[in-house]
Amino acid sequence: MLPLLVVIGIVTWLSIGTDEFARPGNLSNLLAQAMPLLIASIGQMFVIVVAGLDLSVGSVISFSTAILALDAPGYLTFPALFMLAALIGATNGIAVTRLNVHPIIATLAMQYVVLGVTRLIRPVSGGTVPEFVIASVQGSFLGVPMPVFWAITVLAIGWKVLHASRFGLHLFAIGGGMASGQTSAARNFGVPETRIIISAYVASSLFAALAGVFLAGRIVSGDPNVGMLFELNSITAVALGGTQLSGGVGSLQGTAIGAFLLALLSNGMNLANVSPFIQTVVKGGLLLAVVSFQRRRKMGL
Amino acid sequence: MSTIIEMRGISKSFGPVAALSNVDFRLEPGSIHALMGENGAGKSTLMKILAGVLRPTSGEILLAGKPLSLSSPRDGLDAGISVVFQEQSLLANLTVAENMFLGREPRTRWGGIDYPTMRAKTREALAQLDLDFDPDRQVAELGIAERQFLEIAHGIHANARVMILDEPTAALNAADVDVLNRNIRRLASEGCAIVYVSHRLEEIFELCDTVTVLKDGALVGTRPVSEMNTASLIAMMVGRELSDMFPPRADETGAPMLGIEDMVLQPGAAALNLTVNAGEIVALAGLEGQGQSAIARALVGLHVPVSGHIHLKGQTVPLPLPRESGLLKMHAAGLGFVPEDRKEEGLLLNLSVAQNIALGRFAGVPAVAPASGTRAVVQRMMDAMNIKAAGPRARVGSLSGGNQQKVLFGRALAAEMDVLVIEEPTRGVDVGAKAEIYGLLRDFTAAGGAVLVLSREALELIGLADRIYVIHDNAIAGEIAATEATEHKLLDMALSGGKAENA
Repeated sequence: MLPLLVVIGIVTWLSIGTDEFARPGNLSNLLAQAMPLLIASIGQMFVIVVAGLDLSVGSVISFSTAILALDAPGYLTFPALFMLAALIGATNGIAVTRLNVHPIIATLAMQYVVLGVTRLIRPVSGGTVPEFVIASVQGSFLGVPMPVFWAITVLAIGWKVLHASRFGLHLFAIGGGMASGQTSAARNFGVPETRIIISAYVASSLFAALAGVFLAGRIVSGDPNVGMLFELNSITAVALGGTQLSGGVGSLQGTAIGAFLLALLSNGMNLANVSPFIQTVVKGGLLLAVVSFQRRRKMGL
Repeated sequence: MSTIIEMRGISKSFGPVAALSNVDFRLEPGSIHALMGENGAGKSTLMKILAGVLRPTSGEILLAGKPLSLSSPRDGLDAGISVVFQEQSLLANLTVAENMFLGREPRTRWGGIDYPTMRAKTREALAQLDLDFDPDRQVAELGIAERQFLEIAHGIHANARVMILDEPTAALNAADVDVLNRNIRRLASEGCAIVYVSHRLEEIFELCDTVTVLKDGALVGTRPVSEMNTASLIAMMVGRELSDMFPPRADETGAPMLGIEDMVLQPGAAALNLTVNAGEIVALAGLEGQGQSAIARALVGLHVPVSGHIHLKGQTVPLPLPRESGLLKMHAAGLGFVPEDRKEEGLLLNLSVAQNIALGRFAGVPAVAPASGTRAVVQRMMDAMNIKAAGPRARVGSLSGGNQQKVLFGRALAAEMDVLVIEEPTRGVDVGAKAEIYGLLRDFTAAGGAVLVLSREALELIGLADRIYVIHDNAIAGEIAATEATEHKLLDMALSGGKAENA
């Protein structure tokens, strides 16, 4: 509950303390700022629940903006980038499960590889992204800005997969076994461990690709550096939301709150004219404080 | 009655150590079959093979006459073989219902998990056991008894035809035992074959109809319980002569080296007192989990007793010791501890023999003091103990069990301790190395040291020790000179908790 209280506190303070915050324009801007992190964090959470980490998220985000900005029709680049992202995720998952590489090393290696490929495709930012991507991010429907629909959709998908499906239950089962040292407990129940873990990494990459699509729609071009630090920020958001890095414990609403908290923090401090360097300090302090005060071993928040 | 399970000629060895050799075991539907034997006789290994956790080195399992190949516990469960092990196998972060259905969850039309059905069926299965707890509770919140019942309910729900209960009453109170026994009888009357592993004789006579006894990994026999009585059952479990692998005992002992005064292991347990003299090997005997290991660990701060004192070479140390620094403090004072599980708790398997031995030398020495003379000490230990390794730089993990155990002793000896507290000195060690280790311990006491040892093997304790304390329910049930002790007497004392005469 702590992060939620912090969110409410910041919102109240900003609404009273500044004129700009509560304006519809700023709120819609805030949602759009939060969206790529929210999407990437939901993906990151799949991997963290099975006691893994995905450091390739940032590179995959940059990579998908670069693919979308290629000089090719959108009906080709759009499906292609998701197929490539799935391939990246599957490689991560196979390295972790079959080759027994530590998740940090496996995904760190992938981060370098994908970053290199992205810079080959698009050394500096530029190009244009397909019109339908821009419209789906910057437009509005029935007077409601598109990011609202994005938020509803990704949260619905995340909820369905994590908390209302067999796959989700198996993720928690595997992570719970790992966290308590019974590494084969889930397998003994008949949970197809390897397949589920690989799928978690694929899901993480697909969500990162989706975050890349959203960012491409916002910046209207491809950028090899746009995804930088998303891997660490998404881990921060997941951890703020109460998900245990040892696996098996966490909730989607927690991750959503964590992602919004981070976005809110930078939006609010920008409005309050706080230097970006101080913002980083505050972010780190907040992460440490929130995680130390969280109660352990409970599901959700 | 037709046989449901037949295990034929089952053998299992872990490396060079044979845990089971050529064991036959048959189960009939509707029968409650007791499996007995001393600690380490191979009961758990046999049951793990039947459950699919371990694979036999040789032998075959027939299910209703057809060969059965088990490569995972899942295969066992699918074949209708369900186990409640002593160690828990539930996932604590999931709910009761999720644990019941994990791996075969009911689905809704849209592919999601059908939680209402899961809850209802979980309630149903628990109701069959006369239990009523919320299917949405997290398993982490359940007590030990509740978890055990949940595992049984899990087996019932999987339509188990064979249910293995490995010491199910060890952690239960009398009321829970009644509930459990009622359910076991009901399951049997419904045609389930039940294997009941227990040390409690009264339970065997009350509940079971057939008993199979194992000894040292071999089958002693299978008899109807109605033909047996307590004496004949104990005789079946013991029945062996002392072998002559033990060195001669000490003629005389010196002054007290280690004393325990009024140690209370757990709230409500009786205070216990014992002494170990110079030149003496004293053993703690008893059934598993009665407190022997807690006594040993309390001496180095790895178990937190309620109260008491230690007397070490005339020096008095109050208990409990600090958890963080207790071990180091006692090391510095001259008391060394050799833990039971050398792989998990004792050795650093990836480091060399030399590093593992040298680790012991630095208790009581400032952390930045120069480490001189290590090479000579290591070489002396390796020669004295006849450690067979490629050299001091060989990785400990590459050594045989016996040599690993010697390295562990070498660490304690290199530190020049006066008192050694040793858990399971020869676990997973072959016969030749056992004799060598016994000899080393005697050499240590002959030079004026004192040893407190505990072991699951009664024979080892009788042969090795000078005096034996029998521990029951966190208290001393009796003390006996090793020359007067027999396996029969020890088992009797351990089972009856000191109510029988202390010979």
